Amino acid sequence: MPVPLRCLTGVVLMSLLALLSDAQAEVRQTSVWWLPRNVNMFGHEIDFIFYLILWLTGVTAVAVFSVMIYFLVKYRARPGIPAIHSHGNNTLEVIWTTIPVFIFLALAIYGNEQWTQMRLRTPPADALPVAVVGEQFGWNVRYPGPDGKLAKMVASKVGKDNPFGVDPADPDGMDDFTTYNDIVFPLNRPVRLYLSSKDVIHAFYVPEFRLYQDMVPGRVYDFVWLKAEATGNFQLACNQLCGQGHYKMFGKLSVVEESAYQDWAKSKAPAPTASVEKSNPVPVSLVKK
Amino acid sequence: MSTIAATHVGQSHGHGHEEATGWKKYLWSLDHKIIGIQYLFTSLAFLLLGGALALLLRWQLAFPSTQVMTNGDVGNPIALPFINPQFYNALFTMHATVMVFLVVMPLLIGAFGNYLIPLKIGAGDMAFPLINELSYWFFVASGFIMLAGFFVAGGAAAGGWTSYAPLSSVAAYNGTKMGQTLWAAGIFVNGLASIMGAFNYITTIVNMRAPGLGFFRLPLTVWALFITAFLLLLAVPVLSAAGAMLILDLNFGTSFFNPAQGGQPLLWQHLFWFFGHPEVYIMILPAMGMASDVLSIFSRKPVFGYKAMVFAMIAIGFLGFIVWGHHMFVSGMNLVLSAAFGVSTMVIAVPSAIKTFNWLGTLWGGSIHFTTAMLNALAFVAMFVIGGFSGIFMASTPVNIFVHHTYFIVAHFHYVLFGGSIFAIFASIYTWYPKMFGRMLDETLGKIHFALTFVFFNLCFFPMHNVGLGGMMRRIADPTAYEHLRSLQPINQFITFAAIGLGFSQLLFFWNFFRSLKYGKPAGKNPWHATTLEWTVDSPPGHGNFATTPKVYRGAYDYSVPGHPRDYIMQTEPDYPDASAPKSSPAKVPVG
Repeated sequence: MPVPLRCLTGVVLMSLLALLSDAQAEVRQTSVWWLPRNVNMFGHEIDFIFYLILWLTGVTAVAVFSVMIYFLVKYRARPGIPAIHSHGNNTLEVIWTTIPVFIFLALAIYGNEQWTQMRLRTPPADALPVAVVGEQFGWNVRYPGPDGKLAKMVASKVGKDNPFGVDPADPDGMDDFTTYNDIVFPLNRPVRLYLSSKDVIHAFYVPEFRLYQDMVPGRVYDFVWLKAEATGNFQLACNQLCGQGHYKMFGKLSVVEESAYQDWAKSKAPAPTASVEKSNPVPVSLVKK
Repeated sequence: MSTIAATHVGQSHGHGHEEATGWKKYLWSLDHKIIGIQYLFTSLAFLLLGGALALLLRWQLAFPSTQVMTNGDVGNPIALPFINPQFYNALFTMHATVMVFLVVMPLLIGAFGNYLIPLKIGAGDMAFPLINELSYWFFVASGFIMLAGFFVAGGAAAGGWTSYAPLSSVAAYNGTKMGQTLWAAGIFVNGLASIMGAFNYITTIVNMRAPGLGFFRLPLTVWALFITAFLLLLAVPVLSAAGAMLILDLNFGTSFFNPAQGGQPLLWQHLFWFFGHPEVYIMILPAMGMASDVLSIFSRKPVFGYKAMVFAMIAIGFLGFIVWGHHMFVSGMNLVLSAAFGVSTMVIAVPSAIKTFNWLGTLWGGSIHFTTAMLNALAFVAMFVIGGFSGIFMASTPVNIFVHHTYFIVAHFHYVLFGGSIFAIFASIYTWYPKMFGRMLDETLGKIHFALTFVFFNLCFFPMHNVGLGGMMRRIADPTAYEHLRSLQPINQFITFAAIGLGFSQLLFFWNFFRSLKYGKPAGKNPWHATTLEWTVDSPPGHGNFATTPKVYRGAYDYSVPGHPRDYIMQTEPDYPDASAPKSSPAKVPVG
């Protein structure tokens, strides 16, 4: 019976891979057979739940498929041996209802607890604020200048000529600088993201950060923060279909030592505020693209 | 001539139409069997089309025609140059739309729902035969409307089958105003077809069961379609409304979904997924019901825990309406909401687990005949288990955040929709084809087709879990544009070759299907020695189905009752009083 055997092999393989997860941590940078390496403080919890579920489902799947194969072999039709006449067994029904209820509820509560904690954990005061605003098909990025403060973003003001929805007179924004498709995070320093979109829904996705956040236009997301634990070069990808250029809407994302970050920030000229002053109040959809 | 309106006591159901003949029979027949067969042929044709779209998009993923931006590679020599990124987006959008709305739903509900419900409940036809035929033609029309998108300026809709606004609702963003409008119009018309079918099924099952056929004597196939009909009736109108709003936004200056003009993009997501999640169960419940019946027939055993199976399906039906938010965890959902949706999503796994255990219980102690139908039903169970397990990853919010919108989820829903629904559809076709056409499908060809499909299916879709975990996003026209995805290109090519194998294996099925119409072994009334009412009449049954209204004496699953000379007792067989009847070895299912 090749039917469940193959599934079984698959499941066993997956479980083995899970076993090897630690050993693979280094290989990941180039291998895509498994999770990429994790460089974000929050990624550990996510990976832990992932492996927990993998083990639970893996063991259960092996059990289910073993029983199935055993039955298929043992109860194959043979002349002279009739089937058992049975309509079921209520005790069994109760058992195999109750146990999954507890397992699934436990999983749901645990997963939700982790999620709530991750979301409610407030970013530390020294977190670096970085604004990222998606557009068809690229990333507007805004960093604070020496004052460490970003201009305040107003969702309703985000538009074609004012990608960050800021008030040009905002004193916090005078020294901000912007980049396009280029993000640099300092190592070991919390980064607080302010995410929004100019046009359609985009999504901020970096697998190595275990981070995915939809950016629905008309809204500024201010609860996402992260802390990079290793240096390296990564790619920021848009992971919500956003039109015909969606597949190439990616940006450079690197994590560097704090000093290197400071040098990089200094090399960027402050945003020319003049261009922002001409902010156009016409809604984005009415502007001819 | 219809002189035999199979009414049951005191209830006339208006089955007064004449039997259509000749070409009229297939154009405008009111007979539920012809309508079922019309649905079957039409959606099998759409299956070929949807599969072709899938192969084109797989080819693009393996050998992208787009120039890699970053490293100046020259284009791939075997790439298909006509697949530009916008066309690629249209390919996966229309592949999903065709498969969901024109293949899986109409096969399960249109073809088997129409064909089997009246026959299995002892009725002469559906309650509203004219509406039934209208439903079919609306379905055909919806297919042509959606596909017309390929021939208009800008091309077919390219916003994904979920058509998230404002990409879908603002022409300047999507560049496919006409195609997207046709898509929405097609969805709207398709919804009307579903609604017409749904209330017809409910009315028929409630009012037209043969005397003695109580609800708890109904075969699980009928139960499943009954519950599915309620889901359709409650969920589909919401999608139709959303489709209408999308048409208004695109063409008439309204702004339901565009935030730049005061609309709300999340409104679309809520409306879509309020339909979309029950839809997931709409596409699996009938498969579960039919697979249960097939497992029972070929294990020569009653379905294990019949009532538990029914209650599990009812539970799925209810819970299916309160889990839609799990598609939107990533949109930045309020924590109380995500907690509620996370818990309800985990809880809905329980009835699915119950069903799986009961399928195993059905196999236990059986006398299992490995017919092609049975092999497909077993594959359904096994693949559904894998698809169910990968769903648990998605239900856990933190993990969802990571794997959402990667190939992991593509693997997941193909395990449920292809591994689940399509294998169950194959099982059902092999089981009921003899009833529909009076001839048997070829078992040898059937088994080769099954083996190839099963192997290629797993080779194609299992590695998608891995590339998804590796970080490959879905819906990107060229994975090689990404540095972190370039090393998985060999896997993508492997998947594409497996998909081609899977696609071409289906030609065997079509060959078998059409050849057997003429050359198949004659089936007789009851080739599988099954118990339910459709097997008491000729194959194919005459117009009006039953010469006299059958009377039902027992449940649908009296297999291998000790003491009975045969290993099955028809539902129409009165109690046999003599328990000391001579024992003989159980009759064999004549196909091995």
